[in-house]
Parts: sequence; C-alpha cells; structure tokens
Amino acid sequence: MFRAHMSVTRIWQLIEKRMMSCISVHGKLPGLQRAVGEVRRKSSFRQSPLLTATPVRALIDEQISIKGRFLSQNYPVTVCAQMHSEEGDLWEAFAHYTTNASSSINLTSDHSVGGSYVGCEPMGLFWALEPALGSREGLRLRKRNVETPYIVKISLLEGHTSPSEGQSNELAAVTTERWYMAPGVRRIEIRQNKIVGTLFLPPGPGPFPAMLDLWGMGGGLLEYRSALFASRGFASLSVAYMGHKDLPGPPHIMSVGDSYFKSACQLLQDHCQVDADRIGVIGLSFGVIPTLRIATRIGFKPSCLICINGPVGSPLLDEDGKNKMFESDQKHWEFDDRGYVSFRNVFLPDNLPPESKQKVKNITCPLMYILGEDDLCTASTENADLIEEALRSAGKSHLFTRLSYPGAGHLIEPPYTPYARVSLWRAKPEKLFTLWGGHPAPHAAAQEDAWKRILEFMETHLRR
Amino acid sequence: MEAANETDVFLNGEQLNLGTDVKYKIFLHLTEFLFLKKTLLLSAMTQVVPPILSVTPSRALVDEKFKVLVENLPPGCPVTVRSLHHSEDKDDWEAYGHYVSDHSGVVSVSEDLSYGGTYTGKEPMGLLWSMRPVPGSRPGLRLRKMNVCTPMLVTISVHSGHEGFRDQPPLASVLTERWYMAPGIRRININEQGVQGTLFIPPGPGPFPGLLDMWGGGGGLLESRAALLASHGYVSLALDYLGFDQESENLEFKYFETAFNIIKDHPQVMPDRVGIFGLSLGSLVAVTLAAYSTIVKPCCIVCISCNHYYPARGSTVTSKFEGVTRQLSKARVNEDNQVIWKDVALEFITDPSNIAEVGRINCPTLLVNGCDDQNWPTVETAEDVARLMREAGKEHLLSRLAYPDTGHLIEPPFSPHFRATTFVMRSSKEKVILLWGGQTKPHSDAQEDSWRKILSFLQFHLYCGPNLKAKI
Repeated sequence: MFRAHMSVTRIWQLIEKRMMSCISVHGKLPGLQRAVGEVRRKSSFRQSPLLTATPVRALIDEQISIKGRFLSQNYPVTVCAQMHSEEGDLWEAFAHYTTNASSSINLTSDHSVGGSYVGCEPMGLFWALEPALGSREGLRLRKRNVETPYIVKISLLEGHTSPSEGQSNELAAVTTERWYMAPGVRRIEIRQNKIVGTLFLPPGPGPFPAMLDLWGMGGGLLEYRSALFASRGFASLSVAYMGHKDLPGPPHIMSVGDSYFKSACQLLQDHCQVDADRIGVIGLSFGVIPTLRIATRIGFKPSCLICINGPVGSPLLDEDGKNKMFESDQKHWEFDDRGYVSFRNVFLPDNLPPESKQKVKNITCPLMYILGEDDLCTASTENADLIEEALRSAGKSHLFTRLSYPGAGHLIEPPYTPYARVSLWRAKPEKLFTLWGGHPAPHAAAQEDAWKRILEFMETHLRR
Repeated sequence: MEAANETDVFLNGEQLNLGTDVKYKIFLHLTEFLFLKKTLLLSAMTQVVPPILSVTPSRALVDEKFKVLVENLPPGCPVTVRSLHHSEDKDDWEAYGHYVSDHSGVVSVSEDLSYGGTYTGKEPMGLLWSMRPVPGSRPGLRLRKMNVCTPMLVTISVHSGHEGFRDQPPLASVLTERWYMAPGIRRININEQGVQGTLFIPPGPGPFPGLLDMWGGGGGLLESRAALLASHGYVSLALDYLGFDQESENLEFKYFETAFNIIKDHPQVMPDRVGIFGLSLGSLVAVTLAAYSTIVKPCCIVCISCNHYYPARGSTVTSKFEGVTRQLSKARVNEDNQVIWKDVALEFITDPSNIAEVGRINCPTLLVNGCDDQNWPTVETAEDVARLMREAGKEHLLSRLAYPDTGHLIEPPFSPHFRATTFVMRSSKEKVILLWGGQTKPHSDAQEDSWRKILSFLQFHLYCGPNLKAKI
C-alpha cells in the first residue's frame, strides 16, 4: 500500500521534473496537464493499452490490419488516423468503436458506429481521410514524390470523440508507412525523343509486360499509378502531355499529338527490359482520348486498353490529336449554386462534333471501360455506351468489358486513398472549383474493386 | 523365351524383330528427337513471358513471415528459389530450395516441398533461416545487424533447374526488406550516470512496460533485439556492459542497477513493469539482479542459454567472466578446431558455492535453452535453477523451454543458425572458433517457437499481468 502510494507520487515528481524536456509534439499547457493526468490514471490501470498495425510498412494497395488490445470491456474508443500531405496540410479520419468482451477491437472485423465512416471498413481510416478543419478549400491528396512513403499515425483515443474536439485522452498509437514503390523498383526519368515521362521498372531481369500510363487534363506528370504497376511486376511509363514545364507550348494547351504518343510507345517497345509484344495503355479522364488514338491511328497494336471515365472525343481536338485551350469553349459548362463547375456535358456524345469521336470500331484488342455513375466531370456512362455500341456493330463485343460503379465519381484511382468530390481547378484569374462527383463509401469501394480488376485484366492480357 | 535386353523394340507389347541397323537408326532418331524437344523446351522457356515472382509482404519486421510465390512457369518445371543477402560485413549469405511447379505452373514456397538445397520439406521461411555464407567465404562467420535503422535487404530469385542453377542468370528476382525497427520508434543513445547503451521507445504516449536487454560475452553493443522488442511495444535498453577497455574500472553491480533505473524512471515507462532479458552472460546478470539486488525489482526475467555461475560473490560480472575465460583455455578442441567450453564449464558449476542463489528470485522467470548447447552447460544449469527454486518454494514462478538439437545462440526467428563462429577472447585478443552447437533445422524451429512464447510471456507479465500493487 505504502509502496503503491510512493510510486505514484514519485511518478508525479518525475513527470513534473521531466515533462518540459520530454513534451510531445502536441504539447501545450492544457496538454501538459492532460498528459500528467493520463500517466497518473494509467498507472493504476491493470493493463496498458496496445495498438498494433500489420504490416506497419505496406504498399498503398495492401490492407493493413489494425487492432487494439488490453483495454476494458465494452469500452468506447475512437481510432484516428493523421498524416501530412507533401504540401503540409493535415489530413484526418476517425471512427468510433466499442471493445468486445475480450477488451479489444479489430478493425478488420468490427463495425464503426460513427465518425468518418460507419460499418465494417478495414481500410476506412485511409480512404476516409479528409483535410482537417480549417484547411484550405478544394484540396486533393496526390503524392508527387513516390520514392518516400506517406507516414500515417494511427491513435487510439478514449471515448467516442473527434480529433477536432482535441480533448480526448490518447491511449496508444502506432506509426505506419504507406508506399507506392516496392523495394527494388527502379524509377527512371525520361526526357528523350521529346518525351516527358517517368519509367518504372520492376526488380529483376525481365523482360516485363508494360503499360503506358495517361492521366487527365489537369496535366503534369503523375507517377503514383505507374509506381504501383511496377511494384506488381509491370514496367510502366507515365507521360505528361500538358501542363508540364518540359513540354512545348503554354500549360493549358495540349501541344503534343499523335507523334508524341507514338514516341512513347516506341520507347517502351525498344526498351531491352520490356516485352515489346505485351504493352497496354491505361487512360483516365481526358487521357482516354490519346488511349483510343494510340489503338487506332498510329500503327501501334497495344495488347489491351483500360479507359477510366473518359470521353471518346473532344470539341477542341485537331486532327493530330492536339487540343486547344479547354476554357476557350464554355457553352456546356454547368455551375451549381456554390459556383462549382461541372464539365460533364462538355463530353456528352451528343455535344461532341462527329469528326472528333475516335474510331472505336478499329480497335483490335480487349478494352475495359471503368465508370463512376456519379461522374460529374465526364458523361462516362454515355461515352461507355457509345464505345460499346461501336464495338458491337463491328462484331467486336467480345473485346469490351464494362465496370460500372454506382455512387462513384470521376477520379477512380488506386485504392485506400481519399477521393475528392470537389477540388480546385484553377487559381487564376480567379479560383474555380470543379465537381468530380462521387460519395465516400461507394467511391472507396469502386477504387478497391476497380484496382483488383485492372490488375487481373493486365495479368490476363499482358502475361498469359 | 530369352530375356529382353535394351536393344529390343516393342510395339504395343509385341516384340518386333528388327535388324540391328534398323534398331540403331531408331535409337538415333529417338535421341535426336529428345535432344530437340529439350532444346525447344529450353528456348521456349526463355521466349515465353518470364515467371512472376512475388514476396508478400515486401517490407516486414524480421520476426514476420512472408509468402514467396512463383507463377507463370511451365507445369512440372524444376526451379530453384534462392535468397541472397550482402551483409554489413560484406559477406554474401544465401539459401535455396529446389522445387517443381504444379500443373498450373505455380511454386508456392509456403505450401510446396523443397526437394533439396539448404533446406528440405515444407518450409515457408527456409529461405531465411537456412542461410549460410556462400561457398568460398571466410570461415566462422556470424550474421548480426549492427545498424537497426536500415533494413536487411534480401534478394529472392528463381532459377531454372536444380543442379547447376547458378550457371545461368535468374528468371526473375525481387527485393524484400526485413526490419528490426518499426516506423515511429525513437532510438536514443544513452550515456548518462556512467551507463552506455541505446534506448528504443515505441510511438505513442505510453506509458509502456520496459526491458533491460543484454547479450552475451562476445561484447559490443547489439541493438537488434531491443529494437525488435520496442516494435512490440516495450521501451527497451540495449546495454553495453562489456565494451570497455581493460584499463577502465570494473563494473560494479551498481552499473546494472543504474541501467535498470534509467528505464524505470523514464516518464514513458511504467515503473512496476520493467523486466530483464538476457542471453548467455546477460542471463547471469538477469538472475543475479533478480536474486540479490535490493535496489531493483524486475517484474519478470527472460534468460536464454542461462548462466548462473557466480563464484566469490562481491566481485563484478566482468572480472568473473574474464576469470572464467582464462580457465576455459583448458577447454577441449574438436577435430574441426572448434573450441567447446561446455565440459570445462560443467566442472565450475558443480560446486554449489559457485552458483547464484536463484532461490532468492521473486519474479516470474522464463528459461530458454538448447539441449545441444556446446558452449555452456545450460541443460544442467536449467535443471539446477529449477531445483533451487523448487527448494525455495518458488517453483510457481519458473517456466522452462528446452529444445532438442538446439545450440547456444537462440536468437529472434528466421535468423540463420550458427553452429560455430569466430570469437575474440577479451583478455588475450586471441581468435578462436567457438562451437555453439545445434543443428540448423531444429535450432531454427526453436528460435521461432521460443520467440513466440517469450513475447507471450512478456505480454502476460508486462502488459496485462496482475496489478503488483495489489499484493503489497
């Protein structure tokens, strides 16, 4: 009894003496008092809570199993995820659980009863991440440097609370790393033959099947999907075709056309570690147009095509496949009551000049079209219908696969990452936000399922 | 009917009577055909898509299992799966298993049998624990990771065929990372109050249970186990207790008590949940602290390859060890020039006045030892400890794990087994090869089994054990 009392007092003294030098990242005076209270209270616990994540270092498309143990029975807890984007913004997610009779929680099997998501969602803490309260509007989480991981801190808090309330007692924490690149994957910058891109090669001698990876009109050079493909054994070349300082012409105009994409395909074919007969193309959003042109106009025969939420043509396209400035024609832009713009009708097949629609009937390889039914940026459903019909009337229905996801939006990206319903389209001359569409849980489910199907499709048509 | 011989030709069970020259031509054509088929097969293999090799997870802690899978092979194809690691000491370590793909062209190292190599049978982790230095390496090597902030990199590759698999480049290869340290763990150099070591603190607010971690008489500071324990939620101090010059003062018993208190007094440690983890000489420190210290009271102790040799109480651990090693110069050397300490050491511990009074231990104690330990008589020691604790009415505190064909260096799982390695004698600086004992497969099984049980023991006593205060 005396000894117990002495221990507690001793802790108190030591804390007071040491706490200033050992203060945690979130230390403020209220935090200090809180932390002291925490320690004193916890030292009388029979058990000490333990939070684990397995694996602690995972690829982005791998599931992480999170468990909390040594709590009390039927005890309300909040599990919270926090990370900083490369731009320095804080992203958070949280969920409310109650421990079971063995005083533990397991996010793989338990149900969240509130927070950023509900129900049984083993990876909810990752896909439901949102910018913290007070952040700038219209943020989108995209990793520019794929050679480093996202560091996500998972904490276990007492009671059902939210991080923004900032008052809860942290019981335990674990740090996870989420990687786009597996060990041994090689990243090679490509600036040759006028191509602006990055090539990712899996480890090993090869030769490897390969993908040409195309993104949308937002422009720039996004590497993260290619990095993941290489981590799954496919060489992958991501190329920029607008909005990049190393490309010719102003940023908002697509100044490269068919010959550019032909060079990119040629680069892959000529690479000694790429199997020249097993190259596919994937395009998201506007990237579907060059994808279709590659398959029909440049004398290249891809082994398969993957099109995500993209149009078959563009009103501003010229015959070389270059595109005039997108904002020069705004007649089909639609604004909601908050001033957010939806580009959906720009790409309605009925609004596209007939000569701008790609000759889908000339496609000779399997094509998978992935669409979100709540896509507010492109009329994906209608474009998918058009492609399907064109192939059907050419007797090529067997080449077509459609994956249609209710509740999913435009930006169907690798799984377990947050999506954006709205984000900043441009900052000047004034800020304009665009609607992508989608709702959190269905969009997350779509990303998870679509990714598996994409990899399976690639395995089938590029490897076997 | 005369007995059939090799040159007889049968068609549908009926013997054909052919002239010798015809039989010879048939033989030639058959041989040609077989040769052509083999050539076709070989070239077919190099022309088709290479096999797909995957290791899941690609980044893991060293005590986590992985699944190695080879797909897209031709069916019934003989291949060798190989691991290769280039150590910090610049040696190459490898392991390999011979497999044959199934009808769907798959080799699953977790499920299939290895027909030969450095391991046989169904061994999901054989590619790690059966590693040994590649042929032509220096003798007596031991694999230890000194820098725990970086992972151990292992290349896993798949090669065509069994015999002579190294003659051709691999068909596929991948890289996997094996970590001692989980992300978020803080590593802090400790150099205070005379104590030297490295402290590892898990992420999170704490408070955490603590562990004082000590290796054996080889000296130096090995952080690998402490980093791994921190990855399991323990504040762990890897203690450097033999890394001092001859000229410096002998360590007092106080050194270990001070080290223990550094952990205990840390604001993120639960002061009544601090244990001690010792291997070999380190376990001697553990039992003597638990038995004799009036300053520190460990919550529990883990002793691997336990040593309870404690003559002339009052002198220090280091001086005792040096005394012992001088006497061990009489130790037997076997035909491979490996030094066996066990038998000589057995003589030391038969004298009861040379033994620590382990009956005085008051905390849960786990002893782990190998029955083929050639370095120290740990089998007899464990029996002795059990007897003494039983006589003192402390039997309920003791748990024991004893593994057949297992040697002295029982380390975290999937580490390679070292039957004998080079050891530098502290006093004479002489290099000898010490025999630790054990056979690779049983020793590796012991490492895997004991680690799981050790973690379970620690978790029980340090994470969710009975509240000690209630007893006082």
